[in-house]
Amino acid sequence: MSDRRRLVFTLLLLLSASCLPAQRPAPLSSAPLRIAAAADLQPVLPPILQAFARQTGIRADASYQSSATLATQIINGAPFDLFLAADTSFPQRVIEAGRAEETQPVPYARGTLVLWTRNDSGVPALNPEALTSGAVRSIAIANPEHAPYGRAAQATLEHWHMLNAVRPKLRIAENIAQAAQYADSGNAQVGFISLTSALTPRLKADGHFTPIPPDDHPPILQGAIVVRGAAQSQAAHRFLEFLRTPAIAHTLAAEGLEPAS
Amino acid sequence: MDLQALWLTLRLAATTALVLMAIAVPVAFWITTTRSRWRPLVEALTTLPLLLPPTVLGFYLLVLLGDRTFVGRAFAHWLGHPLAFSFSGLVVGSVIYSLPFAVQPLTAGFHSVDPALIEQARLLGAGRLRLLREILLPLSIRSVVAAAVLCFTHTVGEFGVVLMIGGDIPGATRTLSIAIYDQVQDFSYAAANRTSLLLLAISLVALIALYARQHHQERSRA
Repeated sequence: MSDRRRLVFTLLLLLSASCLPAQRPAPLSSAPLRIAAAADLQPVLPPILQAFARQTGIRADASYQSSATLATQIINGAPFDLFLAADTSFPQRVIEAGRAEETQPVPYARGTLVLWTRNDSGVPALNPEALTSGAVRSIAIANPEHAPYGRAAQATLEHWHMLNAVRPKLRIAENIAQAAQYADSGNAQVGFISLTSALTPRLKADGHFTPIPPDDHPPILQGAIVVRGAAQSQAAHRFLEFLRTPAIAHTLAAEGLEPAS
Repeated sequence: MDLQALWLTLRLAATTALVLMAIAVPVAFWITTTRSRWRPLVEALTTLPLLLPPTVLGFYLLVLLGDRTFVGRAFAHWLGHPLAFSFSGLVVGSVIYSLPFAVQPLTAGFHSVDPALIEQARLLGAGRLRLLREILLPLSIRSVVAAAVLCFTHTVGEFGVVLMIGGDIPGATRTLSIAIYDQVQDFSYAAANRTSLLLLAISLVALIALYARQHHQERSRA
């Protein structure tokens, strides 16, 4: 009998836990602006969201994932208002699925690719020649199949005529943040990573970088779209304008994202 | 520490465990007692979520529950919002994802009950419900508790499915495991460590409670 009582007790415990009320975040304005943001914006966006809330009274929540995942989710009806992608191909897919207000992705920033290494990695100098030398045994890049910074890294290596020579050294990461983790954790000696990652306090403390000349690869243009039928469509457009005001463009540039034009 | 995510995770795990027990007990009972030729198919189907990578399972659910399919639109019409990217959507995903963790221990537990006992109960005129309530459940109580605890902890640590159908919305679908992922992506390793520690602590306490109970039972029986 006591066995059964224990079971009833366990079930009651589960039941009471499942009936607990959902905790609601303290509202600033009734419905927040929901932003689907590419993973490379994670170090950059939070202070800008706060500035936007201070200036307009509109609270904005961002969800960070890879642009590919976010695009798939939006196409399948995710309740986002604004999509800030890491390139223009993913917003383009959302447009083609009929889920965007725009007919063209709105470029809002241009990413910078850098070559990064830990201070204790034993790589004497960060230049293209080092990559083919025996001193560098492993190079982290983001997956060129779907990560914009990965595509740029591959284009750069092709431009330097060394893609085939370094191919056995490449360590392919799922996204650009992971490429930075490969390099920062020492699992890859050098890494093609985003300037936004390289400028975070952690990576600044652990290593150093040289920017890749912008002419060595097609530009990493980051595009945005407002989701069709968004609950906060107006706020989304306002935020897009806000991103391109000189003050915010300046902040973005200091964090590693240049103005798009 | 992301208390909102902790809260959400506990609610999700408890709800999932409850729903799963309600589904899995009848299913396991049917598997144990049926002579139907469909039994292998049902057993295979309930094991299938173990084979699919969670993100793939999540992707299929995302497409199925999204508003491009009839099922997704029907749910959206019925609930007033799309099922994906909501708490109820996560419950549906978690139930499917953890189904084997409920059905397997229950089936094993029911099977371990002496068949002669079941046969006698039947001969004495016990109906199926009474058989389940008074013979199978009491005699395999450890499996029942084990199934509930496994479902709970498995849901606490769930990642791939939530990543795909959740959309990382604070207060609605951002669970602890997603919060940890966010923190790692953001190079906030210290915060990620703290959150992971909490996740481990919750699971550890649940498992210790389970095994301590079983140990206690074994000793009191001996």
